[in-house]
Amino acid sequence: MPILSLLIFLPLLATAFILALPTRYKSSYKYIALAFTAVQFVLAGICYVKFDASQTGVQDLAGYQFVEQIPWIRLDLGSIGKLEIDYLIGIDGISMPLLLLSAFVMLMAIGASWNIQKSPKGYFALLMVLNMAVMGIFCALDFFLFYLFYEVMLLPLYFLIGIWGGARREYAAIKFFLYTLFGSVFMLLIIVGLYFSVINPVTGAHTFNMIYMMNPQNYLGDSIFAWDGYQEILGISARLIGFVVLFFAFAIKVPIVPLHTWLPDAHVEAPTPVSIILAGILLKIGGYGIIRICYSIFPDMAALSNWWLGLIGVISIIYGALNALTQKDLKRMIAYSSVSHMGFVLLGIASLTAEGVSGAMFQMISHGFLSAALFFLVGVVYDRVHDRNIYSFRGLAQLMPKYTGYVAVAFFASLGLPGFSAFIGEAFVIIGSFNAASVGTGLPRWMALAGSIGILLSAAYLLWTLQRMFFGEIRLKGGESWANELTDVNSREQLILFPTLALALLLGIMPSLVFSNLNASVLNLVSFIQQFI
Amino acid sequence: MLAFSPYISSFIDQIIVSIPYFKPELTLIITFIGTIIASLFVDKYWDKASFTFTIAGLLLSGCYLLGQGLSHVEMVGFFDMIHIDTFATSARVIILLSTLLIVIFIQQRHQHDRPLGDLYAVVLTATLGLNLLTMSSNWLMIFIAVETVSISSYIMVGYFSSTKVQSEAAMKYVLFGSICAAVMLYGLSLLYGFTGNLNFDTPSHIAGLMEAPKLMISIALLFLLTGIGFKLSFFPFHVWSPDVYQGAPTVITTYLATVPKIAVVVLLSKLLAAWLAVSFYFSDFLAYVIIIIAIATMLIGNLAALRQQDAKRMMAYSSIGHTGILLMAVLVYQNNESNVLLFYLSIYALMNIAVFIFINNLEVSLGSTSIDSYKGLGKQSPILFTSFSIVLIALIGLPPTAGFVGKLLIFSKVFEQYQNFQSFGLLALLIVGALTSVISLFYYFKIPLNAFLRDNVDHYSVKSNPLLLGIGLFCTIAVILLGLFPDILLSLF
Repeated sequence: MPILSLLIFLPLLATAFILALPTRYKSSYKYIALAFTAVQFVLAGICYVKFDASQTGVQDLAGYQFVEQIPWIRLDLGSIGKLEIDYLIGIDGISMPLLLLSAFVMLMAIGASWNIQKSPKGYFALLMVLNMAVMGIFCALDFFLFYLFYEVMLLPLYFLIGIWGGARREYAAIKFFLYTLFGSVFMLLIIVGLYFSVINPVTGAHTFNMIYMMNPQNYLGDSIFAWDGYQEILGISARLIGFVVLFFAFAIKVPIVPLHTWLPDAHVEAPTPVSIILAGILLKIGGYGIIRICYSIFPDMAALSNWWLGLIGVISIIYGALNALTQKDLKRMIAYSSVSHMGFVLLGIASLTAEGVSGAMFQMISHGFLSAALFFLVGVVYDRVHDRNIYSFRGLAQLMPKYTGYVAVAFFASLGLPGFSAFIGEAFVIIGSFNAASVGTGLPRWMALAGSIGILLSAAYLLWTLQRMFFGEIRLKGGESWANELTDVNSREQLILFPTLALALLLGIMPSLVFSNLNASVLNLVSFIQQFI
Repeated sequence: MLAFSPYISSFIDQIIVSIPYFKPELTLIITFIGTIIASLFVDKYWDKASFTFTIAGLLLSGCYLLGQGLSHVEMVGFFDMIHIDTFATSARVIILLSTLLIVIFIQQRHQHDRPLGDLYAVVLTATLGLNLLTMSSNWLMIFIAVETVSISSYIMVGYFSSTKVQSEAAMKYVLFGSICAAVMLYGLSLLYGFTGNLNFDTPSHIAGLMEAPKLMISIALLFLLTGIGFKLSFFPFHVWSPDVYQGAPTVITTYLATVPKIAVVVLLSKLLAAWLAVSFYFSDFLAYVIIIIAIATMLIGNLAALRQQDAKRMMAYSSIGHTGILLMAVLVYQNNESNVLLFYLSIYALMNIAVFIFINNLEVSLGSTSIDSYKGLGKQSPILFTSFSIVLIALIGLPPTAGFVGKLLIFSKVFEQYQNFQSFGLLALLIVGALTSVISLFYYFKIPLNAFLRDNVDHYSVKSNPLLLGIGLFCTIAVILLGLFPDILLSLF
């Protein structure tokens, strides 16, 4: 059974169904979307259960699982060689957890969009297209296919933010689109360069196959990204330029400071479900891209420039946290906390140690559903009174005790309290970056120290928010009418929140559920890169 | 006269031998005459006579073209005046199919306006000129072809003119066009002076160019580019196109923005392939000028489009921007490797025809081409605006559309040349090409932005012509399908 293809293209079928059904059945759209996403989640679960954790993956196609390879475009184009594009998908320990996470977060997002009133047909159709693109990104092993999904992802998001968003939605939507596109058009140039540099050893044709791009032996001697020949563009090593351009294309998605400014805007203007997808899945595409593409195709440059990557990570951690401290809008605060938490991912990746990279992967998973939960929690209040200003609320604990309980758990889980998943992720990143100095990967110890200051700051802004909004006397900006509208969480909301927070606890206690699956791939990746130090 | 008499029989032999090669064009000429006769005498009784005759003529010409295309033989006829290769044949098929769609477009849109027979006839002559342009390498022939196209275009632009803006557009076009043609002719006479030969791909012509004085050859080449630049509307000869595109009826704008470019691009790529094969002052000079022009054209077209409020005017600047991309492809064209160029040209034709059909559809319903008037219409006519958005996405060059594949192939070609020659100019072309596609997102997306993201204040109802909308949808589906499976089309060339 082509399980990955099913996983990718099921949502497309859902889109077709939704578009074909006349508008008078509009209440059924969400059930269609939910049913298809649930099937997807089950399929992803099957992938998880059947996954063979001993397989390595990364630069070795034999180590990938559920691989499907179909020749897609084969053309003889004369001087630019034979075009060879495959429909090549497969997963290893790095993509499998993210695939499962995406299916889970998608399910949350459908749950969060239960009360969408404005043209549900278009909304759910676009959501399903987005779902397809996201799954495709995590499975694609052909660069052309990857790029296709990567760009297709932007279009539904633009409309989802732009049509169903808040007051400044036009600005936020186009800003998000432009930032990502700016990174990706230059990525396209690098893809073309790689295409001309790499030869499929079997057929002798140029190829877009990412796995072949990871093997130095497949590079032509005099090509632009050749390993042995030292090619330069304007006096700078061509391979370094390739690495940096690809890195920035993905770093915009992560996002790193100073390229993060699209994120708060997009989050604030996006409707709750889209915020959930943005924080839960899309930011992970950035981290995934850096590992899968930048690091695996340019391991030599990764080893060369990891100090700078670590520095960018540290800056993002501290700057994001400091910004989160000063925010008055609850959603904006969580957006900045995302910048800070994703900084850990970058720091962990930059450490080039097994602990650090595993920690980064774990942090991505943990941040994926925790930030989704946080945005969902903001959505709960916003749905009721259409206000998100922290200072508009006080003493919510007395009005909404259950809600306060969920918020408290989510906040404690995000700030890295031991026993929750974020702790594992952040601790491993810090251990990894601390050990980097002794392994000799070139990351100084003060970066690990700066990372721990980031954890301290995140405790400060989250706890302070908890205190400002939930404790003390009841004082609401909207007075009595708000007090009536602020009902406690209902069963649908609990149905979404409870499993998410339970998962945070479960992974905090049993991190091996994730670690055991990604360990082989991460060790392979680290040893693959460390040979270039 | 007497001196020629011994040769007359061989001349006639040559002409008789050449005539079969010229069948597609002869068909066009006969259709031209037939259409005029039909519009004079038959249209009174059956108002679709001239239209039917035109369509039939185009189809017949297409059949002959297919015959030429399938035979895969290079044909030289009329004393080297025409030179038919597969590149020319494929380009003519694209020209013919685009013309066919546009003739249907004209008929559907203007059937109740003034008699259309003459317009069909003029479209046919323009097409004839374009056909000649693709298969000639003789300057005299080229000049005649350019003038045939120009004069036909002048008439087309002014054909329906009833308002001041439309007359202004036509007048501007004529004045600008004649001056450019005159300058080009002067450049051609200089070239003839240097070489004593009018066929640009012959060794003696190229040898003459090598020996020509640097200053004079530079001036001659620049003059030559003036004429070509006018037809392609590249910088700095693009200034006419926004006014003309906006002022001309939309059906004519569609023709002008799409079809002539195909032919001129073919001509220019043949010219550059012949001349840039050698490395002398004149060819280096020409290459640098083209690189500079391409960069400037991309930048100016896309930056100016940012400020436009009118869909047709925006499309004019967008087509200037696409000319820049085409120039990139032309620069790296090598003989017998025309598939990338032809792919982009056919996609470009598809996208342009679809966009203008949509614009026109809205123009008829709303009475306006301003982008602001599309506010909130996405909800009322979802099919129209979804297809419109998809075509615009293709124009930006985003996957999964054919526009992306086209751009990717052109970038690949340029990159391959860059890898061979390490020329900074080619790298700059690539970077500017990538950058301008980001810029273009901004203005193309104004249309979906208004249609979907904003709310409607006035309630217009959009009435669609089913046949035209069908053509538009067909183009849209083709754009997506060719984006996912480009080999369907690429393997044909």
